[in-house]
Amino acid sequence: MVAFTEEIVDVGGTKVHTLKGGSGEPLLLLHGAGGNNGWLKSIDALAEKYTVYYPSHPGYGKSDRPDWLETIPDMACFYNWYLETLGLEGIRTIGFSMGGWIASEIAAMCNHSFSKMMLVGAVGIKPNEGEIADLFIISPAQVLDLMFHDPAQAPEYQAVYGREFTPEEMMTAEGNREMAVRLCWKPYMHDPRLSSLLQRVNMPTRMVWGRNDQIVPVECGELYKKAIRGSDLVVIDNCGHSPQVEKPDEFIKTALDFLA
Amino acid sequence: MFLMRFTERAYTTYTEEAVRNSPNEAVRLTFSNSNFDPKVGARQYNEYLDEYEYCEEAGFDGLMLNEHHNTPTCLGATMNLEAAILARSTKKPKIVLMGNPLPTFENPLRVAEEIAEIDMISNGRVVSGFVRGTGVESLAANINPLHNRERFEEAHDLIIKTWTTPGPFRWEGKHYHFRVVNPFQMPLQKPHPPVWIPGLGSPQTLVWAAERGYPYIYLETDPQGTQDMIDIYTEAARESGYEPGPENFGYLCRIHVQDTDEKAYESAKGFLTGNVGVGRVPMPKDYMLPVGYGGSKADPRVAKYQGRIRKDPFLGLGLETASYDQILDSNRWIVGSPETVIRKLRETLSVIRPGILGVWTNDGDTTHADTMRCLELMGQEVLPAIREIGAELELTDPFQKMAQTV
Amino acid sequence: MSLDVYYFTEMPYHYIDDELAEQWPSLRLTFPNSYFDPNKATDLFKRYLDEFQYAEEAGFQGLMINEHHNTPSCMDVEVNITGGILSRLTSKVKILMLGNMLPTSDNPPRLAEEIAMLDVISGGRIVSGFVRGIGVESWANNTNPVYNRERFEECHDLIIKTWATPGPFRWEGKHYQYRAVNPWMLPVQKPHPPVWVPGTGSPETVEWAVKHRYTYAAFLTELTRAKQLFGSYREQARAAGWEAGPDKFAFMICAHANETDEKAQESGKAFMWRMGHPLKGPREYWAPPGYFSQAGVAANAARRQKPMNEMTYEELQDHNHLVVGSPDTVIKKLRHIKEELGIGSLLLETQGGPLSHEDTMRSIKLMGEEVIPALQD
Repeated sequence: MVAFTEEIVDVGGTKVHTLKGGSGEPLLLLHGAGGNNGWLKSIDALAEKYTVYYPSHPGYGKSDRPDWLETIPDMACFYNWYLETLGLEGIRTIGFSMGGWIASEIAAMCNHSFSKMMLVGAVGIKPNEGEIADLFIISPAQVLDLMFHDPAQAPEYQAVYGREFTPEEMMTAEGNREMAVRLCWKPYMHDPRLSSLLQRVNMPTRMVWGRNDQIVPVECGELYKKAIRGSDLVVIDNCGHSPQVEKPDEFIKTALDFLA
Repeated sequence: MFLMRFTERAYTTYTEEAVRNSPNEAVRLTFSNSNFDPKVGARQYNEYLDEYEYCEEAGFDGLMLNEHHNTPTCLGATMNLEAAILARSTKKPKIVLMGNPLPTFENPLRVAEEIAEIDMISNGRVVSGFVRGTGVESLAANINPLHNRERFEEAHDLIIKTWTTPGPFRWEGKHYHFRVVNPFQMPLQKPHPPVWIPGLGSPQTLVWAAERGYPYIYLETDPQGTQDMIDIYTEAARESGYEPGPENFGYLCRIHVQDTDEKAYESAKGFLTGNVGVGRVPMPKDYMLPVGYGGSKADPRVAKYQGRIRKDPFLGLGLETASYDQILDSNRWIVGSPETVIRKLRETLSVIRPGILGVWTNDGDTTHADTMRCLELMGQEVLPAIREIGAELELTDPFQKMAQTV
Repeated sequence: MSLDVYYFTEMPYHYIDDELAEQWPSLRLTFPNSYFDPNKATDLFKRYLDEFQYAEEAGFQGLMINEHHNTPSCMDVEVNITGGILSRLTSKVKILMLGNMLPTSDNPPRLAEEIAMLDVISGGRIVSGFVRGIGVESWANNTNPVYNRERFEECHDLIIKTWATPGPFRWEGKHYQYRAVNPWMLPVQKPHPPVWVPGTGSPETVEWAVKHRYTYAAFLTELTRAKQLFGSYREQARAAGWEAGPDKFAFMICAHANETDEKAQESGKAFMWRMGHPLKGPREYWAPPGYFSQAGVAANAARRQKPMNEMTYEELQDHNHLVVGSPDTVIKKLRHIKEELGIGSLLLETQGGPLSHEDTMRSIKLMGEEVIPALQD
């Protein structure tokens, strides 16, 4: 287990709660709409090779919620300031789900923020055939059901989702959900401009998807592949929306291969 | 032949001077609403509704309504409210909405719901017209005019799908996004109320309407221009695999009748204070056609269309400068005793051959009493005569055509 | 002291039985509209409008209408549509629209225009209620629930400015932007029609109503809770230096009269339909994430000991959500409510669920002949 610290990064007055650990070149992790799930096994494995920065997005968890920050492009702009504040440039990144959308917007907005980008079950592009599941109209328990193909194969499922939550954690989860609504309500979890914006992205990019993703169809991975020149798509069999939790070993291998 | 009565329900209790002193000297959009007296409005609304209700008795097949915003020239700012009232207070005539300005709406589902509700209250008498709205409508609702046509088409597609596809379903379009399309109320008419498209003949709209088999209603266009438009529609209809007839075309015309030619000549002068406003002060071009509204001039058909509209001295706001006698001599407005009106109408109908005739009976400051007399004479003499001419010229309307095919 | 009594029905499409309703998570939002039969609805609209018009004749001082989306429980999807009809077809009554949903409106000047048009057509009889809309309305109109209150307030401010300030003027707000606000139509009532807001307990709403001196209408609230809310209104008004009279308070309740208590108890059971399935549904439908503030969540929890859809017929009557009886019984109960609450208006949902036309008409008649006059002393 790699030691990590909790740090507060002050970005022009907005405090961003950041988990930081490991050694090596920097790697930015961007969490999904549900929030930052903490230092899981897969993250620990990444920290063996890289210095991991794992912030809670503004509006999430213990980070501040600036009133003006209401869209994913706002978020992308904010993360460029965040990187600048930390003196980071041309770094590696992995974006999970909504975090993948944020990473893509950052890459489209600024061509020297990242050197390599990995998108895991990313929202942001509207599928032509299927749909991105509507997570706001169902209960958190139903969302969880959709998230995993087979919870039994996720080693940390019980530790992360199966325990009793404290009232504070419930409040945080509710606040995170509200922030997701703020950012992604309409158009729902996508931006019609995104495919066009991604045309100028020319860094190595890899999409990773669970074959059985019931939240963001694999088709979205293919659309990302089409939009970003030279990118590839790795599909993990018997896996749902969160390969990093459901199939951590395969995820880590794919990630480390790509990031190396 | 389907005969529907129309007036823009103008408010005229203001002066030319007030218009000249207003921002950009415009009677629409920025002419201050401090010139509006709600007491006058209260009287006028109810008189206009009385007139429409009387039209049922007079024998009109339809009551045609329209809508404009920020203007004294049309009190029907939200036509659906008047339509709802007429849906409840009349029994037989169709209620023809010409039409809801789709691009100005952020929520097409609400339009679908409103029309469904009115269709039910009227017992299935709604004809649902859709329009792009003039530039003033885009500006009043602050909707980017560049997106006007895209929004028109997308809102239309969503409304029709809402009416014809069981909910709930999702719609993720360019301009409209809904994750639960499922209004419980649906129109009485199946699959949905008839859709008619009124306009000045923009080629893109003509082709779009023809492809969908929607009747197109020409709004007082010149006879030659109307012929060109019919050709464009016909060509597109044939490509879609059908042969259009009079039931695919309508024509709106100002027709004012009184007991004598002299009396009619005087009372029809209200047309000069109607949609062009008191004093006929020319409107700024950017109000009616904001940048991006008109479509690509690279398309020769669009260029020809725009040139025609611009040069037409007797159309819409072109009326700002033509003299009353010039207009009447052109026969674009038909004014006179029943005998005169019937004679002139025969010529117009023979040339344009519409299955639907919009009878714009009065406007502006023509008095309520004169209007009622006009409607009475329409019922007693003019409408029966037009029906005969229609039968003779075989001007089949959409409802007759539907009845024939069933 | 006089009391204005309003006749109200949600115009329910009540042909949904329990067996069918139980197959779906809710009667609202996602209950498939393939269960809708427009022929039945056409007949219902005609009937309900007849009943509204009769209520004026029978002696009600006002008619109240409301709107909801994607639900059989309320066929009126556009309060201004029925408002228009009643404006034209009645001549004396106030027309209370409670109300237009401000947050889901994307064009406040158009809304201002519509309401002005009704006020003009009715000769100044409109009472303009403004509501936030339940969560289902945010869904149906796809309006981000996080901004519900912000949009409510900005939309309200723009409508009031549109009515009270000569156009053209510019509005560059957070949620709404216009460069030429100048609808030609303005209301007859000056500076504008009276504004009412409904509430079920959210403290922000009471505070906001006091700030604008608007009438606060408590909806299907426990009497004790309504008393607290009205008390809080009066205190805040006093603190701001003015005295809130009865005209600032209205109370909405289901009420049914028949010739005898026995008959009324039998026919009044029709109200159980509206208290049942239409009030059920997942939390995400009623209050999507972000819809309630933290204070609102707390107030909501304190609102009712037991949800109305779990109450028996007797419990609903004991808790004053439903008044049923002979005219004498109804008078006694409503008089008690009037005196307890110090209200100036009583909003009676006199038609509800599958209550038949005959029973509705008789109830309206008895209300008009006996109940309403007896409440005026």
